[in-house]
Amino acid sequence: MLFLSGGGHRIRYELRGPASGPAYVLVNGLTQYAELWSGYCDTLVAKNFRVLTFDLLGQGESDKPSLFINQDDQVAAIRTLVDLLGEGPVFLSGISFGGLIALRYAIAHGGTLAGLVQMNSFAQLSPQLLLLGNAMRTGLILGGTSYLQDLLLPMNLSDAWLGPQLNHLEAIKRQGWLINDVYALQNLMDSFLDFEALTDRLGAIRIPTMILNGEFDFLTPRSLHETLRANIPDSALIIIPHAYHAFTLEKPALTAELLANFATDVLAGKWKGGGSVWIAPEEAGGELRLFPSEYDHLRAIPVRKAVT
Amino acid sequence: MNSFLGPLDSSGGVPPRQQTRVGAFLISAHGALARRLAMGTPPTLKFGWQTELHSQLHRETEIATLMMRATSWVADLELAPLCLTWETAWLPKLVEGVVDWSQGLLIDLAALAHAIHAAIRPAVLLPPEANAEDPFVLALRRIEFESSRLIQAQILFLKGPEFVPIRDCVNAAVERRHQQVRDLWETMLESIGVRCA
Repeated sequence: MLFLSGGGHRIRYELRGPASGPAYVLVNGLTQYAELWSGYCDTLVAKNFRVLTFDLLGQGESDKPSLFINQDDQVAAIRTLVDLLGEGPVFLSGISFGGLIALRYAIAHGGTLAGLVQMNSFAQLSPQLLLLGNAMRTGLILGGTSYLQDLLLPMNLSDAWLGPQLNHLEAIKRQGWLINDVYALQNLMDSFLDFEALTDRLGAIRIPTMILNGEFDFLTPRSLHETLRANIPDSALIIIPHAYHAFTLEKPALTAELLANFATDVLAGKWKGGGSVWIAPEEAGGELRLFPSEYDHLRAIPVRKAVT
Repeated sequence: MNSFLGPLDSSGGVPPRQQTRVGAFLISAHGALARRLAMGTPPTLKFGWQTELHSQLHRETEIATLMMRATSWVADLELAPLCLTWETAWLPKLVEGVVDWSQGLLIDLAALAHAIHAAIRPAVLLPPEANAEDPFVLALRRIEFESSRLIQAQILFLKGPEFVPIRDCVNAAVERRHQQVRDLWETMLESIGVRCA
């Protein structure tokens, strides 16, 4: 476990992998902590990547400012971490709230990155997301971290994943409850509910960008990813079949493979974003398929695209 | 040093010496808040925010009396100097950069309450096998749960629009109280063989 000072705060991080390899920096979602990426570290390190994981400000063992957490402070912390990695290519990937932070970083410091991965993320708060965020904050206030976990687990994970875990959920929740403090989570939520939309600034992201969205993601549905796909010039959207919001927890082997393939393609000059839309395989080892061009990828039923 | 209280007895209870230290600390901290809230709550409420003061006063009093009754007390000769240290720490402090001293004392009270409700998490000290029906175990869980609700009043107050011009002073006051409470809590825990993770 290592610590460094970034933007006046102490950040806890871990760095694994060969010193010369291309690097991935993985940014946590709101209620996560760095250890949840351990499966990704194993897979990516085995493919000669360096992997940097860390706790955001307000999470785990990083500093937890008592009253105010600013998204700019999170971006400053990532800048310090990216600087630590030196000259080699760096890929930045974030899930949900971490995706938003990664997006802000890419807008401000895109030149320091070789590529960006957005996973179930957003550039603006839709009315649904705003109201859901407020309801989650109220849930946290009234019921504590444990209630928030109870709320998020069935929203973010599939029956196929939850079914076998039903008798072990308390143990699964315990580490998150131990390591996260209510006031710090609330400060993080406040910083997420109080931000200006980034949509108008997405065009500034000139680096290759892979956008991953769970097929059944309820919290950040397809329309929010369409904003990213339509406005980030060199992007492609990949839909993860049968996945919900927390597909990084549910499908780690598939997601880690997508991350590795994306970086490999970018470094080999083979990446073709072009606003394309793809369907990921069900499991690691399968092939990406192009989403049928005549159908509307924003719909949950097979509706043909309107002719423009 | 262990991350949790214990070793637990055969019925899943926390050793009485640990209960005594933890109980005394929580009574001292929450009792201090109750005293300061009692001083600040008028006999007749005239403003809406005073309703919250009244509520906080009674929740803090409840926590202190709950710990008195739920703790298995044993004689502890080191407790007297420890209590003196704790009680001295809770005394009101002026907030640097705030000219109006009465406003400064209110900010300090909210900062202290924020720190006590945020930095002290007694339930995380309980190992998973602790007896869920044990009064002391239940009391620690209840205090942590109540703290996450009680802190909302401090958050709303300290982040309020009237303090925007002195935000840095308020923030510094809260950070100082957090550090102070955290240091005292961790020192007390180390004295009973528990190290905060």
